Order: sequence, then C-alpha cells, then structure tokens
Amino acid sequence: MEQASTLNRHIATPLSTSVPTGKLGVWWFLASEVTVFGGLIACYILTRLGSTGWKEAAAHLSLVFPLLNTLVLLTSSMTMVMAHAAVEAKDSHRLRTFLMVTVLLGVGFLLLKAMEYSREMAQGFFPHTGLFWAFYYGMTGLHALHVLGGVIVNLILLLTVPTATETQQRRVEFAGLYWHFVDIVWIFLFPLLYLT
Amino acid sequence: MTQALTYTHYFRIWVWLVGLIFLSVLASGLLPREGALLVIFAAAWVKAVLIALYYMHLKYERWQLAAVVLIPLLLVVGLAVTLVPDIVIGHGK
Repeated sequence: MEQASTLNRHIATPLSTSVPTGKLGVWWFLASEVTVFGGLIACYILTRLGSTGWKEAAAHLSLVFPLLNTLVLLTSSMTMVMAHAAVEAKDSHRLRTFLMVTVLLGVGFLLLKAMEYSREMAQGFFPHTGLFWAFYYGMTGLHALHVLGGVIVNLILLLTVPTATETQQRRVEFAGLYWHFVDIVWIFLFPLLYLT
Repeated sequence: MTQALTYTHYFRIWVWLVGLIFLSVLASGLLPREGALLVIFAAAWVKAVLIALYYMHLKYERWQLAAVVLIPLLLVVGLAVTLVPDIVIGHGK
C-alpha cells in the first residue's frame, strides 16, 4: 500500500530538468537521425574503401548543382537562426520575412536537386546502374526528403502563427534545430559524393 | 542594437562557412589527393562544429545536450572502425 503511494507520488511529480522537455525531445530525435545518416555514411565509406571504380563514377557528377545547393542550404540556415533571433525579440515582421526566405531557399534546394537528378538520369545513371549510384541516390534522396519535411514544418509555422508569441518562439527554435541538423548532414554528403 | 549585433554575428559565421566551402573546392582541384582529403574533411568538421555551436546554440546550452548526439556519433564511428578489417582490409585478400 505504502509502495503504491510512493509510486503515485513519483508519477505525479513532473521531471525536473533545466532543459525544456520539448527541446530535449528534439535533441533525442536528432540523436536518432545521427544513427540513420551516420550509419549510411559509414556504409558508404567502408564500401568505397573496399572496392574500386568509385572515383570514375563520381567524376560524372556535375559540381555546379551541389555547390549552388550548399550555398543555398548554408544561407537558409542563417535565415532560420535569424528567424529565431527575431521571434525572441518579438519582431513579427522579421520573423515572417526570415521564415519565408528559409522556405523559399528550401524549395530552391529541392528544385536544384530535381534538376541534378534529371541531368544524371538523362546521361543514363540510375540507382541500379552501380553501387556508387545506389549510394548517391539513396543518400541524397533521403536527405532531400528531410529537406522537404523541414520546408513543410517551416511553411506551417509561417502560415499558422502570425505573431511572435512564446509558443511560436519555442516552435521556431525546435524547427531551427532540425533545419541546422539537415544542413550539417549535407555538409558531409557534399565532399563525400562530389569532392573525393 | 543587440538584435542588430546578433544578425551581424550570424552573418559573420555564414561568411566563414562559405569561405570553408570554397576552400574545400579549391583543395579538391589543386592539392594532391591525400592533402586534399585532409583539408576537405577538416573543413567539413569545422563547418559542422560552427553550425552546432553558433546556429544550434550548443555553445550556450548544457553539455548534456551535446552528449545526446555525440554518443550515437561515437557509436557509429566505433562501428565503422570495427568493420574496417572485414570490409576494407579483408577485401584485398
């Protein structure tokens, strides 16, 4: 009876951490994403080191699209963190502007990626063409899906909450953490696929 | 004023990030392969750390938050290193 009472007391007491629960949740989610992309990148590196002909396959890729995409994604990371600064300063006008620019840059990234895929496929390179191409489409495709997810979240933020409230502040911060993580993943994919 | 300084600060980080991107591209075209790989991946890690510290604000957060993502990262690196003898070295036999 006493044990049950103690248990009830523990359940009723909220967990006390200095990190807000929502933020902690986002970081745990990002940790799971580290294993997804980290595992994929580790497989790519190991398979590449253990076989030959990858450099020749990679030489068919254009450097223009990914370089532009890197600049687009880095810039969108800057505008996203500026949106966070704006929402903290309760500056709704700048918040909307920076969120809109971030969404547009995200869409721009996806359009450039689509153009790059069309170019590769027009040259006859498909996911089943070879191991390099399977990794190339797999890794960049999974990343592009994450960018799409981020664009949708940012668009919802932009459309649903027009003012810089405290709730909006937290949401922008959480969306920003995800967006920056997606940027970091691209920072490693770019040299692995296009520069080596 | 403070807000303007914040925006300037974020812009400065962006300039560093873009500079490092161009450094990587130049290194891949100009340096010998081993040197280029070293510069390219060192620059990639610096960029990732800059984003994590300043854009994700890890510099101002508790260290436990960084540990949440660093632990799986170490596990992935450990897994890859453990598999090197089988996949990379074993392949040559």
